[in-house]
Amino acid sequence: MSKITEKQLISQLKQLKEIKPNKEWAVLLKSKIITEQKPVVIKAQSISFTDIIRSVFYQRKMAYSFAALFLMVVGVLGFANYTMPGDLLFPVKKIAEQSQAALTGQSGLRQNVAVLNSRINDLAQVSKDGRKDSISSAISEVETNVTALVNNLKTGTADATTIKEIVSSLKTLADVPGTDLSTNQDVKDLYQAVVQAQIADLNKATLTDDQKEVLSEIQELYLQGKYTDALEKILLINQ
Amino acid sequence: MSNLEEQFGQIYDQYIEKIYRFVYLKVNSQEVAEDIVSKVFLKGWEAYKAPGSNIDNPGAFLYQIARNAVVDHYRAKGRAQVIGTMDTEIADPGTNAQDMAILSADINNVKKGISRLKKEHQDIIIWHYLEDIPIPEIAKLVGKPEGTVRVTLHRGLKELRDIIQEG
Repeated sequence: MSKITEKQLISQLKQLKEIKPNKEWAVLLKSKIITEQKPVVIKAQSISFTDIIRSVFYQRKMAYSFAALFLMVVGVLGFANYTMPGDLLFPVKKIAEQSQAALTGQSGLRQNVAVLNSRINDLAQVSKDGRKDSISSAISEVETNVTALVNNLKTGTADATTIKEIVSSLKTLADVPGTDLSTNQDVKDLYQAVVQAQIADLNKATLTDDQKEVLSEIQELYLQGKYTDALEKILLINQ
Repeated sequence: MSNLEEQFGQIYDQYIEKIYRFVYLKVNSQEVAEDIVSKVFLKGWEAYKAPGSNIDNPGAFLYQIARNAVVDHYRAKGRAQVIGTMDTEIADPGTNAQDMAILSADINNVKKGISRLKKEHQDIIIWHYLEDIPIPEIAKLVGKPEGTVRVTLHRGLKELRDIIQEG
């Protein structure tokens, strides 16, 4: 091949500028890279954005729902705590008491005594407020719980603390004005069970001559079926 | 179209022919060149739109991607070591049909000669004589002093002339 000067070579090199990509391919590539990626990118952004919004909204919605439910439950329980037998939300109060007893591990006789104590307090409050429409429901609740306690006393053994609590409850019950439940058979049975347990304890205890004399009177009253009187004397000895 | 897309669209229009030519002269195949150039601009676009992206010189950036892409292409084919010595037909049939009508036999020889140059000579000759990139800018592209680039350019031109005259 003939010699080529540097100038000629450079001139020929510059002519290589004629090498160009296919126009259709170049346009298509641009479209693919920029335009066609756009919907994909936007779609991806859109999905992630809406997902985030939905997620946040959903989480907030859930949080608000739980908060509302929580407040509602707390509100109902709080309000139910002040209800009395015969009120619409009184069953809720009983459920709450049962749940509380379960949580504190309270069961059996002690739970019976605690519930009876609550019902006697309800009765005392209803009587004090003069809510005549609620008194019958309150008495009914007390009787139901007395029956349950008597049944449990027949099958189980009550410790001294429980007996003292029952005595305290019976004393409160006896003090409620206008509600004489001493003739109620279950209440009588409860008195009998308590007096019987107390006499047994006193027999084991070391007593003075005076106390032994009172104990004899208590036993007499017990045999006569005068459990209320017997219990009053027992309380005197214990003092 | 967003601002970024518009900007990159302008960069694409400005560089598509240059990058294609640069790649084509190195791989001697329209199909391969199109494939590599597609990857170059896709990578360029992804980098350009990336958050915090700061590409001062898009041309230099695209040429760098193109150089790496060509190297990757030859590595993948296991032919990287013979780039400078291969003696293949200049263009594939697709480009041949298109180009041969335009390019004279002499120019085709030059094209053939470029494909046989050392890689460093190829890049600098293409950039300087085909793309009219000044020496200082080429120096920045290759990360070498301007004097070194001038010497390389001179040697490359001499090598090309020898190849053509031998051919």
